Amino acid sequence: MIVSPYCTIGPFFPASFVDGHDDLTHYRGGTARGQHILLSGRILQEGSVPTCNTILEIWQADAAGIFRHQGDPRCAQADPGFAGWGRVRTDAEGWYRIRTVIPGSYETENNIQRCPHANLMILAIGLTRRLVTTVFFAGDPDSVRDPVLDCVADAAARKRLFALRESAEQYRFDLILRGESETPFFLD
Amino acid sequence: MAFSYDPYDDRTQMARTIDRYPLSFKRTPLAPLVPRPLTLSERTGPGASELLATGPTDLSRISADGPRATGQLLQISGRVTDEDGSPLAGAVIEIWQANSAGKYIHDADHHNAPVDPNFTGEGRLTTDAEGQFQFFSIKPGAYPVLESGWWWRPPHIHFSILGWSWMDRFVTQIFFPGEPLNETDLLLNAVPDREVRERLIFQFEGTSMGEINAMGFRRDFVLRGRRQTPTLD
Repeated sequence: MIVSPYCTIGPFFPASFVDGHDDLTHYRGGTARGQHILLSGRILQEGSVPTCNTILEIWQADAAGIFRHQGDPRCAQADPGFAGWGRVRTDAEGWYRIRTVIPGSYETENNIQRCPHANLMILAIGLTRRLVTTVFFAGDPDSVRDPVLDCVADAAARKRLFALRESAEQYRFDLILRGESETPFFLD
Repeated sequence: MAFSYDPYDDRTQMARTIDRYPLSFKRTPLAPLVPRPLTLSERTGPGASELLATGPTDLSRISADGPRATGQLLQISGRVTDEDGSPLAGAVIEIWQANSAGKYIHDADHHNAPVDPNFTGEGRLTTDAEGQFQFFSIKPGAYPVLESGWWWRPPHIHFSILGWSWMDRFVTQIFFPGEPLNETDLLLNAVPDREVRERLIFQFEGTSMGEINAMGFRRDFVLRGRRQTPTLD
């Protein structure tokens, strides 16, 4: 069967669909294990102009590297206090803010290590389809090995997939949609 | 059971950049999208029905016994499947739309059309075991894209679907058949193939008469992904 065509989310995604999904560290009365962080940054379009009203969604493993999803064989051990998924909207200056934990690393089916990362997806007016990328949290961009990161050949572009550690509790990650220093996005 | 995913086929998707839609040229990356392998991280996704509360399936009124919103009552139904035609049960569908005057309740809507006190224009529901969904709403109005100076959006309803994983997360807009503004809409016409474009348009299903007087429309969705035969290891 032919897959349905995507279309832009447009400018009018209801605020009620976004509100309350910016904190992954508290879920169903529980509190997430691991290092709690504020992940924040700006989403910029061509010319480093801030984008307002852009929707950003995040999906990541918990602090032990487990996804609460039937597809993960360790699903039953997933942190009950961690939501795993979140959704935020950029403000007038292009800022987003997400409270989450540093995800754990895990081994893929082929015993390859995936280092700590979160999946990000951008939906906005002007984008007919979503943009997907991955933010990495740890290590030296030049030496870290990860099967997704290693697909980005250019060393400068690789660096742009790493969140900047400002303190133990605060990480900064800007997303540049278009321009000379744009963020690498993955084929979707 | 595991799912497998191929990249979207550009022939069945909208162009990423569209003439006369300037923002598409300011936001679409210049560099080619980077191919990557899919691991557990991408092939899993939020258990959306646990994370997102679903609500009433009648968007045409704010409370069950409240007055109906102004406009033509619609009964909309459809089915969500994967590429093999297998139903996606428990998928979360988010719906939002303009009121009958073409006005959204949103701080980014600057069109001078009236708000309808009996209409929020948003709802969230889940698919049943057969992947089916159904809801009531009213026919959305057309509205101008003010900054364009010429472009009027034809009536449409927005759908956001959270299916099995991060890979089949899906967002689109569905249009109504026979609308004159469909011919000039930049987005609808950004799907290159006319037959594929039909997949963004409701099918008219006829009318119902009696307790509920509504026009019926149907739209099925095919989310990316194929079921794989379970392996023995």
